[in-house]
Amino acid sequence: MRVLVVEDEADLADAVARGLRREGYAVDVAYDGDEALDKAAVNTYDLVCLDLNLPGIDGIEVVRRIRADGERQPPRVLMLTARDRTVDRVVGLDEGADDYLVKPFDFDELKARVRALLRRDAGRSGALLEVGDIELDTARHEAQRGGRPLALTPKEFSLLHYFMSRAGQVLSQEDLLEHVWDENADPFTNTVRVTVMTLRRKLAEAGEGQPVETVVGRGYRLREGP
Amino acid sequence: MNPPERLLDRLPEWTRSIRFRYTLLYSAVLFGLAAVVLAAIYLVLLMSLRATPVSAARGTYCPRFGDCITVITFREAERLINAQILNKLRFYSLGALGVLFVSSLGVGWVIAGRVLAPIGRITSVAREIQATDLSRRIELPGPEDELKQLADTFDAMLARLDAAFAAQRQFVADASHELRNPLAIIRTNVDVALADPDASPDDLRQAIAVVKRAGDRMTLLVDDLLALARRQQPTPEHEPVDLGAAVAEASEDFVVPAEARGIVLDRAIAEGVVVSGDREALKRVVANLLHNAVRLAPPGSRIRLATGSERDRAWIAVADEGPGISPEDQAHVFDRFWRADKARSRADGGTGLGLAIVRQIVESHGGEVRLHSKVGVGSSFVVWLPVARAAAEPAKR
Repeated sequence: MRVLVVEDEADLADAVARGLRREGYAVDVAYDGDEALDKAAVNTYDLVCLDLNLPGIDGIEVVRRIRADGERQPPRVLMLTARDRTVDRVVGLDEGADDYLVKPFDFDELKARVRALLRRDAGRSGALLEVGDIELDTARHEAQRGGRPLALTPKEFSLLHYFMSRAGQVLSQEDLLEHVWDENADPFTNTVRVTVMTLRRKLAEAGEGQPVETVVGRGYRLREGP
Repeated sequence: MNPPERLLDRLPEWTRSIRFRYTLLYSAVLFGLAAVVLAAIYLVLLMSLRATPVSAARGTYCPRFGDCITVITFREAERLINAQILNKLRFYSLGALGVLFVSSLGVGWVIAGRVLAPIGRITSVAREIQATDLSRRIELPGPEDELKQLADTFDAMLARLDAAFAAQRQFVADASHELRNPLAIIRTNVDVALADPDASPDDLRQAIAVVKRAGDRMTLLVDDLLALARRQQPTPEHEPVDLGAAVAEASEDFVVPAEARGIVLDRAIAEGVVVSGDREALKRVVANLLHNAVRLAPPGSRIRLATGSERDRAWIAVADEGPGISPEDQAHVFDRFWRADKARSRADGGTGLGLAIVRQIVESHGGEVRLHSKVGVGSSFVVWLPVARAAAEPAKR
């Protein structure tokens, strides 16, 4: 899952990015509204954590423009605001933000809200994902197959998470690079292929059969049934 | 308690109203005037007409046939009639006075009620207006008379109070907003660092450095907020301050930072200018102005700090060759938490309160601060203060 953090306080933006990266998200950071719009135009984000009070183009305008991009599915927007007046939040929510947090916030709450927003796209209501005999707990960061725990690196976990939230769909290497890796990933390396390979190996070791199929010439797919 | 007060207390509530007193006064004055006029008419008539009562008649005339009749002279008859007329006049006058008294009470009550009605309205609206709802106004209709002026004065006062409360609320909201950002930085960095079991000492050291930065920023902000709040209190004690010495002292702290940025700080401080004020506050004015100038001026440029006096006013000027302030921004530079460039100013430790504090201090000294600025050329701030005693010594460069 790919997240864009937009915040003009660099110390805050970097800490949020660091914390979310450790949760396995691919995180990019923008320090003002222009940079945020530039990055949103180039990359496809699943979620944007947005400070409303930005120098230059302000947060509300950023929400408006991100939502106005009709070509792609717009990302979920979580507003961060230091203003606790209702009117500020109402404007943000009316313009298309999905949720808000008032600064200073508890980082666990931020993580929970990010998870909740990303679940909305998968049409689920809980933190637990289940495809076939694979189970993934996004809150506890645990995955298991057939009851046996999987020892995954954060990147593998994110990859599996993305596969499971798009079960049955064919996902190209570009899709995976776009949603699971951040902008610092080099698109010309075989990092996607290598990570998929290790994930498949760990899945195969934990149970019968290989749930992640290769669709020749197009990409990978997580089988929905056993 | 003395007797008259007790008597007043025993009277019913309505007798204490202005309307009652006004009615009584009106009635008494009308009655008194009428009584005087009538008494005067009566007395004039009494004196000009010789009136004798009937009993004064003398003599009878008895004709041969018929009864005797009283005989009086023509003059006596005239006097008799006069006496009767005066009698009647007295009777009707007293009656008229009685009627006048009663009707004047009624008319007085009605008129007083009409005149005082707007006051009742003013009172009831003023009573309804609580500190929380200052948006209501009396808005008294009618001609521009004294009561309308009173109501309009109340309205103007309410508008000022409303604006002052709104500004205060805005200030609190802005202050909390400014404090929330560093708080969020501290909290998030601590949360993230604590949640990472594999954090290296370097990571932790970095998190601590970030927390320290945010803490420093909050300290500055709280200092500035306190400085603002302190100046909002009734004027603190003012004492004679040697302006030149105070300015020189305040500018000392900026010589090194200016040099570090490659900026020349030119000082032309006049001696012997004495103003009445708070020395520390005036030093802060100079420090805040220089802080902005040193922060914003490009390396290699020149900042000029000068003081002097002109007739009964002293001045302090700080001119830089910085980026300048656009005309539309010039109206806002003295606003609290206003920043020309948010991101840069915050990173430099600007609280957005510096110039607001300058204005507040200067105005509480009975002075004013002016800004002359041109984009791309530079800005100069000139502070004018009333002088306590100007020495003859001319300014030296």
